[in-house]
Amino acid sequence: MTRRNLIKKWFLALFTFSMSLPLFSFLKSQRYRPPIEKRISKVLKPGQFLTEPEFVLFHTNKGPVAISRRCTHLGCRINYFPEKALFICPCHQSRFTKDGRYISGPAKKDLHRFKVAVLEDGQGYVVYIPR
Amino acid sequence: MKTISYGQMTGAFMLLSILSGFVVAYQYEVATPFVSCVGMDAVLPFGAFWRSFHFWSSQVFVILLVIHAIDVRKKVEGGNASSAQKVHWMVITLSVPVAIYALFSGYVLRYDATGQAAGAIAEHLFLRIPVFGQVVDKILMNLSGDGLNRLYPVHILTGLVCWLLGTWYHLKRVRIGLDPFLFSLVATCAFCAFVRAPIDLPAFHAHLIKGPWFFLGVQELLRYFDPLIAGIIFPAIPIFLLFILPLVRNRLFIYVTVLLWTFAYTGVTLMNLLRNG
Repeated sequence: MTRRNLIKKWFLALFTFSMSLPLFSFLKSQRYRPPIEKRISKVLKPGQFLTEPEFVLFHTNKGPVAISRRCTHLGCRINYFPEKALFICPCHQSRFTKDGRYISGPAKKDLHRFKVAVLEDGQGYVVYIPR
Repeated sequence: MKTISYGQMTGAFMLLSILSGFVVAYQYEVATPFVSCVGMDAVLPFGAFWRSFHFWSSQVFVILLVIHAIDVRKKVEGGNASSAQKVHWMVITLSVPVAIYALFSGYVLRYDATGQAAGAIAEHLFLRIPVFGQVVDKILMNLSGDGLNRLYPVHILTGLVCWLLGTWYHLKRVRIGLDPFLFSLVATCAFCAFVRAPIDLPAFHAHLIKGPWFFLGVQELLRYFDPLIAGIIFPAIPIFLLFILPLVRNRLFIYVTVLLWTFAYTGVTLMNLLRNG
């Protein structure tokens, strides 16, 4: 190998290496995303619930509670079964109580709760879903 | 009579998969993935046919790629393989997970119950990779942050990577004759005229979701083991062992381990298939 070819190869290697940092920095960076404010234009009576893609909203004696439908095991969308008052994950059958507490299965952790506020006119709720 | 090799058939189905992918992409909407897939099947003329064509040709391509890789291992088995042949073997070994990821991301992109669950699980698995987990997730998936915006270009990119890797080696060495291409084209057309690509309709699988067929074993293992072991280390074992095949002397150990792995994975896949909830 000639000296010129060797220098070319080293230059290419150095150039590739030095380009990897800007590439990874660009790909890895993430914009700040404020929580999604999901408005529910419905008033629930005590004991009623509402199923949304991201959460299940319950009206309890202590006020509205939004339980995340994201399983704490591997993130599958979990389903609520009112007849059993249980959340059951369809992927690995982890089970949780109505208020999101872990019962059984591979998840091991309780379901998350989202912040909920009653709308100013009292005619619904706003649920804050973190991103 | 000319014989058609596995390699030619693999190349033919890869081209069919990529070309039909571009056709499907014209009507696929990343903002409304599930609706656009159902719309293709239900409303658009020949939509079900094209989605089926892309789905089934991709399935066959990945299966044939694995068979092709097993077939060409003979070139590095003898012990006197050149360094170029060793590199070619390593490239085909690495192209298998790339092709599987292309197939997997296709399931997620249709965004039905199976796709959503498979995507969520894959994202969690990526995040469990030590040190590089977040970077890998940001580059390959990031479903929770970006929805399908990241996965869609990655799906197309993995298809292109398969095409480039295939072309890089085979250019001026072998060519796909008209016979295998015509055969694969006619066979896929005939099959897809009658068989649709699967999609879960809402409310199906409320109790139990089963992932893509090649992911069922991982899904089952995730019940019992840590995600890092069940979802990352265990599936990587055969890839890694086959990757280092030309570099080690004790090839019997590699073959026995890969065979045992295959039996074990088939076993847990069957366990998952038989599961009712």
